Amino acid sequence: MITVKGLSKSFGQLEVLKQVDLTVAEKEVVVLIGASGSGKSTLLRCLNFLEVSEKGEITIDSERVELTKKKTDLNAVRQKVGMVFQHFNLFPHKTVLENIIEAPVFVKKEKKEVASAKAMDLLAKVGLADKANYYPEQLSGGQKQRVAIARALAMEPKVMLFDEPTSALDPELVGEVLQVMKDLARDGMTMVIVTHEMGFAREVADRVIMLADGNIIEEGHPGEIFARPKHERTQRFLNQIL
Amino acid sequence: MAFLKAAGLTISITAISLLFATLIGTIFAGFKISSSKLLNRIADLYIGVIRGTPLIVQIMFLYYGLANFLTLDSFTAGALALGVHTGAYIAEIFRGSVQSVDRGQMEAARSLGMPYFLAMRRIIFPQAFKRSIPALANQFIISLKDSSLVAYIAVTDLYSVALSVQGENYMPFETFFVVGIYYLIIVLIFTWFANRIEGKLDVSKPKEVAIP
Repeated sequence: MITVKGLSKSFGQLEVLKQVDLTVAEKEVVVLIGASGSGKSTLLRCLNFLEVSEKGEITIDSERVELTKKKTDLNAVRQKVGMVFQHFNLFPHKTVLENIIEAPVFVKKEKKEVASAKAMDLLAKVGLADKANYYPEQLSGGQKQRVAIARALAMEPKVMLFDEPTSALDPELVGEVLQVMKDLARDGMTMVIVTHEMGFAREVADRVIMLADGNIIEEGHPGEIFARPKHERTQRFLNQIL
Repeated sequence: MAFLKAAGLTISITAISLLFATLIGTIFAGFKISSSKLLNRIADLYIGVIRGTPLIVQIMFLYYGLANFLTLDSFTAGALALGVHTGAYIAEIFRGSVQSVDRGQMEAARSLGMPYFLAMRRIIFPQAFKRSIPALANQFIISLKDSSLVAYIAVTDLYSVALSVQGENYMPFETFFVVGIYYLIIVLIFTWFANRIEGKLDVSKPKEVAIP
């Protein structure tokens, strides 16, 4: 589903990603872990071309994007990739329903009634059908994030990316968001997740990838990595957060 | 009444110039936000020159200075000068308010597959416009009062009429007091409208949403 070859990314002098290779299979749930500054969020953002890297090649659902060439229609590729942000980034001037139908109506040119009906199904799925006409600021953090997930799903993406989706939430609200993500994984969505929720990773992930200094230093089944980390930096990282 | 007619002229020259200024302001704000270095430069040049020279000089230059190349009637010249002048300030107001919208808004829109200009139009501008209203209203009020300078190119606006009335009746206190009141009333009416519009657009206060 996703193939990344030789991906490099620098911010000025700072090399954040160094020749990263990554493959994600269909229906696979991959969790990226690593210390702050390890490049995990940058890697995720590159998969949606929010960061455009200078070197490498990314293939998403058999659509190849060579990053040195400017010609590719990134908007078309982005439609295949849903993204959920740490700070939700809901559109504050639109209601929950309007947030969700915005892209289907204006990008996919769906009829408003059709998009709305689908949006209501998605809202039911994330348990917020009664909040369709609310504005984002009337919702709790957990509810906002669930709306953001529904908004991304409305474009019917092939892959969902989550960038620390629960880091900005009050502890008691984390569970409801993770539950939605678990449901999504169970339904067979391909997912790449940056998170510090190791319990969630252990339960849901098919594979955990540890990044340090812009390199993948270790990867494997969560049971394996959490129980017997091979790399010394993985051990240190896990000791610090577990 | 001479004053009432002149007030109408002041309002119309201001309104026309502001319409024009908002258009130029939008275009040059776009230039400043653009990633093109050339467009940035053009916008900087325009804003720099206009903000760096007095409005009265711009009015005189356009009407008398360019008379050999360009013959404009005084109303058109006045409206044009005022529009070009105010446009520079409005460009900066719009640029500032667009840049004040959280970066995550653009990222979220782009991540949903929205092209840049669609994201600007649907997501960024509505939020930016609301934020620009207080500064915009302020700028409009300044322009209304600055329009008095077109009296110097023989536009018969409020101030010009005040000058000629005072020249006949030798009652500067009464004349300028009255003309001051005229300006004040126009500004107060405008302010009232601006506040209402701001209130209407206030997305942070939800519209009547039923909370069950």
